[in-house]
Amino acid sequence: MREKIHKFRWYILGLLLVGLLTVPVWGSDYVVLLCLLFCLYLALSQMWNLLAGYSGLISLGQQAFIGIGGYTVAVMASYYGMHVWVGSLMGGFFSILLALFMSLFIFRMKGLYFAIGTWVFAEALTIWFGNWKYVNSGMGMFVNPTNPPSITMTYYASLIIGVGAFIFVYVILRSKLGLGLMAMRDNEVVSETMGVEVFRSKLYCFLIGAFVTGTTAGVLYVFQVFIYPYKAFAIDWTVTLVFIVVIGGIGTIEGPVVGTLIFVFLSQWLAEYSSVSLIILGTIAIVVILVAPRGIMGTLHEKIGFEILSPRRE
Amino acid sequence: MDSSEGAVGSILEWEGVLMENFYQLILNGVLLGGLYATIAMGLSTILGIVKVINLAHGDLMILGSYLSFVFMHWIGVNPFWTFFLVIPAMFFIGFFIQSLILNRVVGKGMEPSLILTFGLSIIIQNSLLLFFTPDSRSLMTPLSVKTIPITEFLNIPLLYLVNFFVALGAIFILHLIFQKTYLGRAIRAASDDEIAAKLMGINTKRIYAFAMGIAMMTAGVAGVLVGMAFLFYPHTGPQYLIIAFGVMVIGGLGSMKGTFIGGLILALSQLIGAQLLGIGNQLLCGYIVLLIVLAIRPQGVFGEG
Amino acid sequence: MENIVLRVKNIDVYYKGLQALWNVSLELKEGKIVSIIGSNGSGKSTLLNAISGLLPLTCGTIELFGERIDGLAPHEIVSRGISLVPEGRRVFPRLTTYENLFIGSYPLKSRSTKNKLIDRLYEVFPILKERQNQKARFLSGGEQQILAIARALMSNPTLILCDEISLGLAPLIIKEIYFQLRRINQEGNSIVLVEQDIKRSLKMSSQAYILLGGRVVLEGDPTHFTEDQVKKAYFGI
Repeated sequence: MREKIHKFRWYILGLLLVGLLTVPVWGSDYVVLLCLLFCLYLALSQMWNLLAGYSGLISLGQQAFIGIGGYTVAVMASYYGMHVWVGSLMGGFFSILLALFMSLFIFRMKGLYFAIGTWVFAEALTIWFGNWKYVNSGMGMFVNPTNPPSITMTYYASLIIGVGAFIFVYVILRSKLGLGLMAMRDNEVVSETMGVEVFRSKLYCFLIGAFVTGTTAGVLYVFQVFIYPYKAFAIDWTVTLVFIVVIGGIGTIEGPVVGTLIFVFLSQWLAEYSSVSLIILGTIAIVVILVAPRGIMGTLHEKIGFEILSPRRE
Repeated sequence: MDSSEGAVGSILEWEGVLMENFYQLILNGVLLGGLYATIAMGLSTILGIVKVINLAHGDLMILGSYLSFVFMHWIGVNPFWTFFLVIPAMFFIGFFIQSLILNRVVGKGMEPSLILTFGLSIIIQNSLLLFFTPDSRSLMTPLSVKTIPITEFLNIPLLYLVNFFVALGAIFILHLIFQKTYLGRAIRAASDDEIAAKLMGINTKRIYAFAMGIAMMTAGVAGVLVGMAFLFYPHTGPQYLIIAFGVMVIGGLGSMKGTFIGGLILALSQLIGAQLLGIGNQLLCGYIVLLIVLAIRPQGVFGEG
Repeated sequence: MENIVLRVKNIDVYYKGLQALWNVSLELKEGKIVSIIGSNGSGKSTLLNAISGLLPLTCGTIELFGERIDGLAPHEIVSRGISLVPEGRRVFPRLTTYENLFIGSYPLKSRSTKNKLIDRLYEVFPILKERQNQKARFLSGGEQQILAIARALMSNPTLILCDEISLGLAPLIIKEIYFQLRRINQEGNSIVLVEQDIKRSLKMSSQAYILLGGRVVLEGDPTHFTEDQVKKAYFGI
């Protein structure tokens, strides 16, 4: 069975891709919606996984980029009539700038300071945007483009982002950067003596993560139409991403896919963000870390060698 | 979750009067710093000893506030009396969290403990939400707003004074425990060299549980004090975690002096910043100072480079 | 009939995923000194770590006075009367000399008993008294080694395991340490000595085991060993 999957993995993936491409044709509006959310969350969680699972950077502040991305689209589309997809890319771009600025402060010491530093930035941005009249302060603003895209177009944008992020991560991990990351993961000190530029590798991943997260947020808020700071910059985003990646399998490429599937399914079932669902998410995450710390895909890989996509070159 | 709308922001508002006097500001900052130091003590202890970052620290502290609230209304006493119940309760909570959950990831690196305590934080917050509703609560009594005038211009809010001396007292007691008792020395030994400690007959897992229990006792104390000074609700935890972290970053890890000074500096920057930039930006000023220290002297004032 | 203090029976031990000990057995009689010799990587420290409970056995048993101790946690083994002077001394750097000794005793004793023990040790090792309030990291190598031994004595053990205590020390200091070790043995403590310094430890012991590649290749009364035998066992030629 394992060999069959390995041999046909490209076919299986291709089939999935065709399925996703044609959803607007055969699926109901609700199904399209689910797939849209799936693609967007997939992109976000791939990035969190790239940071936490491969670069050793646990970011508790990705929401900073989500907020920046969302507000960029909102401002550019509503005030300057910019096309929404261009606006989203701009959101990604501003996120990179933010990430560069953040790196001056938070890369100085151990990973712990990085984690809380990112969070502090997100909190600071919450306050900033909450008081900024230009974006209507804490009351939030609408994403009001002159030509609002249809759901189908938004869906395809999110599909490009979701699949794109997935492929992007795959390519990175098979590149020189990726090799360096995995060496770092094994033993950071030793890898440094071998010439792996630890700091730079981490920084690149951080910037990449910021870009994709910001752009994804742009598309997300085009879909959600309304943005306000206390949700956009909230730690809740990180809660979701941690859950997805931990359960799916941290440090694996397929992990975020599985995790996102479970999350989208669960969240529809448990009506997003109500307290009980969060308690359940939190408990599951704790149990997984204690019992199967590598998540679903990681444990499968460890126990029976089941791996659909390997970052290793053969 | 609305952590920017600080309950902390209500410091300057509870009397409905903005503090304009500069000296008053400094005095308040110093006294508030004591409270911040007490909040940070538990986090710093655990990080230094068990090498685990407890992201649920703020939430556990607020749990202490809620416990006090329950005891207050159940038994009908002044919040000060609830100390006697909250402190032991928090000890056991800390002991069990460490024994059952955190001890399993000690020594396995930072990631598992970050994610574990993060999950714990979410569980605590939302459980409190379910149990107590999102309404804000407080442990305020008439004592909370009493002030002692010491000159024509200067008033000392009584509560802040209490906070300050409690902080001093807590630091002193912790110091005694760690320097003079077998338990304290065993804890320090285990944090120096876990294997050697085991070879000396020390049950390190149990020692860590005790250390966590002690840390949670200080969190309980902080929780009651915070509840007496400000409003709290289920999601207030994280902003106090960030305050605790700010104290640790500014003051430096592993130093009682540092925790105290860190608290002072953070409180002062918040209050001065609020005075200059407006109340809404009070927390922001604290964050900015934290980030600046991270950038130029990440080990903090008293930290070991 | 002499009591057998320690009996290691046919143990296999793995370290970091690789097998480090194969079918190792040894016996220590009460009040005697046993030497375990071997070059780097022969498994000496692994053996002591297994006895102390720091490493698990994959097969075989370890008995202390006839009772099995394999599978017990290190702190439980200490309470049964075994004390390890670890490789590299491992004194607690941020604790003072006094505190290192204080923590060395098994938790249950009263403070006054501990202080009495510490005073006795100060008599035997006066240098420790001089340094009693200094943090252990400021002691010299030799002083740290003496501290490590004294600390191990604080739990009043019946069996002391010494892991390469002469490593990195000046000959004069080593002489002093071995002198003290002999005294400790004369007071009734049984000792297991792990050393790379062959001559000295063979001289002191009544029984010796030479390890090579995780196996016992030579054992017996060292006075009966020929130099050739020892060389062959140690170097494997």
